[in-house]
Amino acid sequence: MLNIFAHLLKKFTSSLSFKLSFYAGLIMFLALLAFSYHSIFTHEQNLINRMIRGAVKDSGVIKAAIWNSMMTKDRELIRQILHAIVREQNIEEINLYDAKGRLRYTSSPNSARVAAESAVDPRIRGLLASHRVRHEISQDRKSLSVANPILNTDSCSTAKCHAHPSSEKLLGLLEVKLSLAGVNREISNSSRNTIIFAILLFLSISTISGLAVVFLVNPGIKKLQASAARMARGEYNPDRPTTGTDEMAELERAFDRMSREINDRTRQLEASRKMYKALFDDAPCYLTVVSKDYRIVRTNNAFRETFGEQVGKHCYAGYKGLTSKCVNCPVERTFIDGASHQSEEIWALDGKKAYVIVKTSPIFDELGQVAEVLEMSVDVTRLKRLQIELQKKEQEYRYLFENAPCYLTVVDRDFNIVQTNKLFDQDFGEHTGMKCFQVYKKQDFKCSNCPVEKTFVDGGTHHSDETWRRNGEATNIIVSTAPIRDDNGYITSVMEMCTNITEIKRLQSELAILGETIAGMSHTIKNILCGLQGGVYVVDSGLLRGKQDRVGLGWDMVKNNVEKISDLVKGILYASKGREPEYQEVDPGNLLQEICDLFESKAQSYGVELVRAFDSRLGKCLLDPTGIHSAVSNLVSNALEACGKGDSFRQQRIIVGGCIEAGRLFLQVSDNGAGMPLEVKEKLFNKFYSTKGGKGTGLGLVITRKVIEEHGGVIHVESAPGQGTTFTVEIPLKSIDTDGALKAVV
Amino acid sequence: MAKKVLIIDDEPDMVMFLSTLLEDNGYDIATAVDGEEGMEKVKSEKPDLISLDLLMPNKTGIKMYRELRKDPEVADIPVVMVTGFGKDDIPSMDFKKWIQERAIKAPEAYIEKPVDKAVLLDAVRKAIG
Repeated sequence: MLNIFAHLLKKFTSSLSFKLSFYAGLIMFLALLAFSYHSIFTHEQNLINRMIRGAVKDSGVIKAAIWNSMMTKDRELIRQILHAIVREQNIEEINLYDAKGRLRYTSSPNSARVAAESAVDPRIRGLLASHRVRHEISQDRKSLSVANPILNTDSCSTAKCHAHPSSEKLLGLLEVKLSLAGVNREISNSSRNTIIFAILLFLSISTISGLAVVFLVNPGIKKLQASAARMARGEYNPDRPTTGTDEMAELERAFDRMSREINDRTRQLEASRKMYKALFDDAPCYLTVVSKDYRIVRTNNAFRETFGEQVGKHCYAGYKGLTSKCVNCPVERTFIDGASHQSEEIWALDGKKAYVIVKTSPIFDELGQVAEVLEMSVDVTRLKRLQIELQKKEQEYRYLFENAPCYLTVVDRDFNIVQTNKLFDQDFGEHTGMKCFQVYKKQDFKCSNCPVEKTFVDGGTHHSDETWRRNGEATNIIVSTAPIRDDNGYITSVMEMCTNITEIKRLQSELAILGETIAGMSHTIKNILCGLQGGVYVVDSGLLRGKQDRVGLGWDMVKNNVEKISDLVKGILYASKGREPEYQEVDPGNLLQEICDLFESKAQSYGVELVRAFDSRLGKCLLDPTGIHSAVSNLVSNALEACGKGDSFRQQRIIVGGCIEAGRLFLQVSDNGAGMPLEVKEKLFNKFYSTKGGKGTGLGLVITRKVIEEHGGVIHVESAPGQGTTFTVEIPLKSIDTDGALKAVV
Repeated sequence: MAKKVLIIDDEPDMVMFLSTLLEDNGYDIATAVDGEEGMEKVKSEKPDLISLDLLMPNKTGIKMYRELRKDPEVADIPVVMVTGFGKDDIPSMDFKKWIQERAIKAPEAYIEKPVDKAVLLDAVRKAIG
């Protein structure tokens, strides 16, 4: 009950109407009090002054009356007059003192006082000394006394009675005491009236102002309060314009404007809130809002579809299945520094390993503190797989590039080598930054038919056959180029693939030779076969017709061709297998003589001069006589054939030469016959290559070279069509040491 | 009177074989070892048929055949080409093509080595009976 009362009181005292009326009344009250005090004080002064002036006048009158009475020496009269004055004039007391200050008369009924007062009062002595009219208000403010000195006049000094000498200036003192009771009563009444008036004024002003507030101001405030409350609930809609011109109306209008502004802002805010919510909910990645204790506060649709409802659970537990916070938690870092962080994580989605990129952003509260963290997770498994695949592929391609069995270089538009593979580095060394033609061709200018340039121009692949000279040896290279484009399809560089096809070329030409060889060989065999066939027919014919000579001729044909086959087979075996030379101590001079003897008759039948330009005693050497014999015989036989084909108007000549110089045996067979064009010269030592049609096996020179090479020697040929041919053989000689082992002659 | 065949071949074995074969079959025989000698023998011997080898030294069979067909005196003598090369062996030696290109009258027969006796005799008989 008391509480309710206290509450109501508090509510009342704190209300605007109370405050306004109370303070307005109070101010009025205090002002009235101040004004009343001032007017009462002035009024009191005026009253007292008037009394003083009255008392002074009265004391003059009394003095005059006393003086007249004294002149008539009527003491009783004086006394009656004084009594009358006391009675009539509301005078409290009249006292008369002599010059010495002794009380000589008092109107006070207490006559005993006169005697007692015979002792001089020091106050009176002071009054006497001043010689002037003085007034004084008693300490209790109940009485006013006026002291009027009685001065010596001529009449007095000359009076016959008890005349005072003229030297005596002061004769006595008249003191009139007046009561202030009336004045005090008047003042008291006046004060009381003023206070009552003030209180009434205070009450009435307070009441009027209080009522004015209650009836004029409060409804407006109440309305504003209600509107504010509705506005807070978002229900306020100021549809009617406020009328009126006073301040309250102005205030309401201001309030309406404000509320319209707030409504607009609220609508905008709501629209953007909806938009962001839609963005959040429908974002194609997992979005969660995580609180400071790592609990999920909000999730988006994609997250819920995959993980279900996880709000309230710990983020690490919810969808990562962990029991404690992740080691490198980006959420934690964002909480610490308020910045965005990113991490790559591996989750188990549907039991499969999933690569997820997690990015966090802070959500600040109104104080600027990180209140929550937005965690955005994107499943990049496919991307990651592709990336891994790409890396693998790149490695594979790099491996292929590095280990390709050809020279691979990447050159830029200025023909600078940008990249090289292992084989290139191994054979050419480090040359990145140099021009391709400097490295490959050892030249300072671009090749005339550059496939790299063509690829830069048309973007196609190009090929060219090149011949490089490295360490004096010709290398056949096939160069293929392919463009390397950037993302926009612009050709930034060209890959140059140089394949060494020297061996392939060699095999290719050998294959071609083999083809020709087989054709040649089959022709040879065919010829022999024809001979055999003919021989057999002739023998048959002879036997049938009983012609013995014909049988003999036929049989010779058969034998001849069987020998040819035998030679051919031996030759083939020698040419394809070869054999270790059977060294014997022989004089090559003797060997050359034997060969020349052998061919002498045939040379004569051909009309060819066989010149023996050697000493028949050259000295003993270690040679395989059979091998050397067949090698040189082949050369002489070829020379004879060449002379047979050559210019018949010139003396055909074969010169056979030999000498030993500086531990080397030189043998030479030269003719001035037909000579050979270059293409024949190149095929000279190929197996089964023959220019002799049915008569050659195509193995002669092959065997010759084989024998020479088995001796560790070399064979050179010089030839020009129409000029003749010269074969030169050079063999380093061996000697037999004491043990009989073979040793090279130094 | 027996018909005469001129055998031109650089291989003595071949000449021996062909002459024996044709002689046994009732023909008269004349021989030559190359084109040059062959042309001389054509003029001197006036053969009824020529057996001509393609590849020979001094004057090849091809050269001789062209001369033979150009010479109106002997241009009509039937020729049997006897050759060791088939048309596939060496393309540059495709004799038939060579002849077609030059619009020269083709030989009466081609016989490839090794010679089939029956084929040769048949060709010779068809040409001169």
